Amino acid sequence: MKPKKRIFGGILMILLVIFLYAPIVYTIVFSFNSSKSLTKFAGFSTRWFEKMLNDRTMIDGIKYTILIAVIATIVSTIIGTLTAIGLSKSHRILKSCVEQVNQLPMMNPDIVTAIGLLMFFSALHINKGFMTLLIAHIMFCIPYVILSIMPKLRSLDPNLAEAAMDLGATPMRTLVSVIIPQIMPGIISGALIAFTMSFDDFVISYFATGNGVNNISIVVYTMRKRTNPSINALSTVVIVLITLGLIIYNVISAINAKRREREEARLRAEMTD
Amino acid sequence: MSDNVTKTNEVQKTAGIMPKKLIQFKNIVKKFDGQLVLKGINLDIYENEFVTLLGPSGCGKTTLLRILGGFLEPDEGEVIFDGENIANLPPYKRDLNTVFQKYALFPHMNVFDNVAFGLKIKKEPKDIIYQKVTRMLKLVGLEDFGKRGVHEMSGGQQQRVAIARALVNEPKVLLLDEPLGALDAKLRKGMQRELKKIQKEVGITFIFVTHDQEEALTMSDKIVIMKDGNIQQIGSPTDIYNEPVNRYVANFIGESNIVDGIMIKDHKVMFEDRQFDCVDAGFGTNEKVDVVIRPEDLDIVPVKEGKLRGIVRSTLFKGVHYETVVETKAGTSITVEMVVSEDKPVVNEAAGEMMSANDFYVDADDVSEMIEHPENADAFIIDRADAQAWDPTSDERISITKLDYELSLKNGRYPVTFHTAAGTTVTADMIVQEANRFVAEEHGEEIYAVNFFKKADEIAESIALETDLKIWANAQAYDLEDGNPVEIVSVEYDFDPANVAPGSYPVTFKTRGYEYRVDTTKETEVGAVVGLTFDPEDLHIMEKSQIG
Amino acid sequence: MKQFRRMTYPYIVWALILIVAPMLLIVLYAFTTKGNDVVTTRFTLHNFARFFSDSLFLKVLLRSLKVAAITTIACLLLGYYPAYYIAKCSETFKMRWVLIITFPTWINMLVRTYAWIGILQDDGIINTVLGWIGIGPIQMMYTEFAVIVGMVYNFIPFMILQIYTSLTKMDGSLLEAANDLGANKFQSFLRVTLPLSLPGIISGITLVFLPAVSSFCIPSMLGGGQYMLVGNVIENYFLHSGDWNFGSAISMIMAIIIIVSMYITKKVDVTEKKEA
Repeated sequence: MKPKKRIFGGILMILLVIFLYAPIVYTIVFSFNSSKSLTKFAGFSTRWFEKMLNDRTMIDGIKYTILIAVIATIVSTIIGTLTAIGLSKSHRILKSCVEQVNQLPMMNPDIVTAIGLLMFFSALHINKGFMTLLIAHIMFCIPYVILSIMPKLRSLDPNLAEAAMDLGATPMRTLVSVIIPQIMPGIISGALIAFTMSFDDFVISYFATGNGVNNISIVVYTMRKRTNPSINALSTVVIVLITLGLIIYNVISAINAKRREREEARLRAEMTD
Repeated sequence: MSDNVTKTNEVQKTAGIMPKKLIQFKNIVKKFDGQLVLKGINLDIYENEFVTLLGPSGCGKTTLLRILGGFLEPDEGEVIFDGENIANLPPYKRDLNTVFQKYALFPHMNVFDNVAFGLKIKKEPKDIIYQKVTRMLKLVGLEDFGKRGVHEMSGGQQQRVAIARALVNEPKVLLLDEPLGALDAKLRKGMQRELKKIQKEVGITFIFVTHDQEEALTMSDKIVIMKDGNIQQIGSPTDIYNEPVNRYVANFIGESNIVDGIMIKDHKVMFEDRQFDCVDAGFGTNEKVDVVIRPEDLDIVPVKEGKLRGIVRSTLFKGVHYETVVETKAGTSITVEMVVSEDKPVVNEAAGEMMSANDFYVDADDVSEMIEHPENADAFIIDRADAQAWDPTSDERISITKLDYELSLKNGRYPVTFHTAAGTTVTADMIVQEANRFVAEEHGEEIYAVNFFKKADEIAESIALETDLKIWANAQAYDLEDGNPVEIVSVEYDFDPANVAPGSYPVTFKTRGYEYRVDTTKETEVGAVVGLTFDPEDLHIMEKSQIG
Repeated sequence: MKQFRRMTYPYIVWALILIVAPMLLIVLYAFTTKGNDVVTTRFTLHNFARFFSDSLFLKVLLRSLKVAAITTIACLLLGYYPAYYIAKCSETFKMRWVLIITFPTWINMLVRTYAWIGILQDDGIINTVLGWIGIGPIQMMYTEFAVIVGMVYNFIPFMILQIYTSLTKMDGSLLEAANDLGANKFQSFLRVTLPLSLPGIISGITLVFLPAVSSFCIPSMLGGGQYMLVGNVIENYFLHSGDWNFGSAISMIMAIIIIVSMYITKKVDVTEKKEA
């Protein structure tokens, strides 16, 4: 690229960054506004955070969001992992059937999945609440977990499992000590996707919950019409939580990569000796 | 070395001290998706043997090994191991271990943990595990590599880890599935020697799968040659090399010259219309046979001393020897006329265009093809007539937009006129003539080519003249039996491509003839007429096999 | 290893109950009359007839398709250059850019959309800035413009990432080859880069168009209570008026439109690949 073009491109990219981040910055700034205005910054204060902390609905929203996300992630990761491994050894007809069914919640508009669940729960006369919300979340998370593990299983050398059994390991032992360690990156990324899908979900939760059990998205949605800067405070909490999570994740992977690098460098040094 | 082992086996057998039968395959049948991969395999394997299953990919050798390893269940038949049918036993209950093709080392464990895996499963005490693993790593020469990750190892080292990991469990049999396939040639030689050494040292049965005949010959006590799910021959390397049971085995084990022959009577065989002495007997009178002559058994001698005569076609230096190809009988050939014309291109000064086209030959088949597929006819004619239009100043090609011609199946000359958009035209004759083809029954081949016109400068400008001559003459050859194309290996002409005077030149196209591969220590000049000689015992007579 | 196959059984049962059965329920409701008792249900096409005979519903459907189409085109036009720019960066900058683009998508969509209310309001940030130079105030909130801005904002990262991925997969030597064969920068872009990024463009289009058609929180937050897209209508029939049969029919119609458009894009993708 010529310098002129690079400057032009750089300006465009800066505009894109402004577009993507302005609302986020705006939210954080105005959560510390001392007035109720959503547009004029009158001075720094934490009153909206105090207000949020005293607002039961908001605090419950945060609690439920995290609780549901954690349980849904754990359950869907376990079920998804076992199912994916089972599918990789199953007949391809069964495999493609399950893959097709998994496509449904991923490809269907969320609202279609949501009303399906709504009608399903009511047809069985199940009262909507925490359990239905949790079941719904597990339901839409599992396909993503399976999807992120399948490629790892496909690239897994089938001889590895055979080698383990050849050396006397039972199928269960093979699963635990050979297959799962090998597909760990897929499991972790599947769990991560499940967690964020659950944490961010609105549409399905909105239809599948009841009895006053609301997550952050539903709280924001139901409060959208009144001018309420404590929503900004809530948003800031969400942004900080997610940012912290991402930073921790990236730091851990960076440390792991460094460690591996150091190990390799050491081994290389040994080899040349 | 391998000779000795075989001989002791023989001696033991004849003396009645049979070595113990360790494994018996009884009528093993295996199907994949309805396709028979193993068609009833019967095979005995003894203690302390180095057995090689040899065959091309898809012959069933790996399937047989995987059935023994427990990774596949046979559809029919029994696998007797130590007197017990293990056909349906899972792999982790079998007293044998496998070295996998791509090693299948556990990437998340270091070398030590890989080797210790089986012992840990058996819950052996830590100190015992340490002793056994260390001893095994020493055996394969990797005692200092225990802490290393498996990806830090070279292919050859990974190979040794895989062997150590299998042997540390003290199996009665070690299965090796093309374990040397991923190594480079030099490393492979080293590993072959090493594997043989290890087998001697640990004294257990090795069952080795490979498609490499040389590997099989150097390492094995017993070779099992497989093809299409059947066993072709079982025997010691020397037996199989010297007395292949059929053409397939002969071809697979070493490069061979195999010619069609007729057994006149015992010790008398005829091929290439001549009778020769041989040592084989027991065939029917005038039975058709295959005669195998190994390249190293043939000698090149002056024509007078030779039993066969031929022309040296090529020699290739192979490091230790020269591989010389001698043609004793020419292939099918056909000669066509190339007419070099002096036609000047048409010049259209008004439009700034030049244009040219040759007269060209077609046969009745071509014409009926054009009548059936008129949409392809224009392109076909432009191609044959080599019609072109171009801008003389920039040398850029101009499209030919229109053709005028009529198609007739009758022999004769028919004018074709080519037009460009700017109105330049050129006319050439399409000459309909009988096809020029030649059928050689003895070779079972048909060859075909047409006469053609060319301009001198096109011949001079050709960057791949032999290929261009084949295209211009539309030279093709076919197998009479199956209709498959046969390669035209030589194009002969007698003109200087750089300056050809107008006139008529013969061009000859030839297919491959009868050729003998001869290994010689001296280089022979290509084109020399030589004699070939051999001893009666060098002729290996085989029954005509249906397969291969 | 057959033992492992058994591990799929629980999920197969689960998926039949929680994925397949609800979908069948939608179909069942869409083809039956009101009265949610299974015993008294009767087959009818009335729900579909009602949708297609009422111009109000058709208008809403067309508006949804129009808004989704504009959003998709805007994402493609605004997103292609950034994707191209990132693909040309060095390895470390690539990773940083990808992080910058993906980071907002990790934050709750409702939270991000809520922020736009403050930005687009009559006395919001944009109008305040416009006021300084003597323009405005322009009403942006509760207009289709606001809805489209909200959708582009939410969905553009998907488009950028899809195109970026297909561009990085492209072998760099292809462009060198094109240049070597005499193509200038523009020609090589048009004849090499663009066709090779087509799979990315197509999957980007699906990832933007589908959620845009069915979205209902963005229109109801930025478009106001009067502004209706298909999603809002469905929400209404399920949560407010309680006519599940008609709501199911609308959902089915939407799902069919989406499936058909997906099928077409996939077809285009396949033929493109074949031609390539």
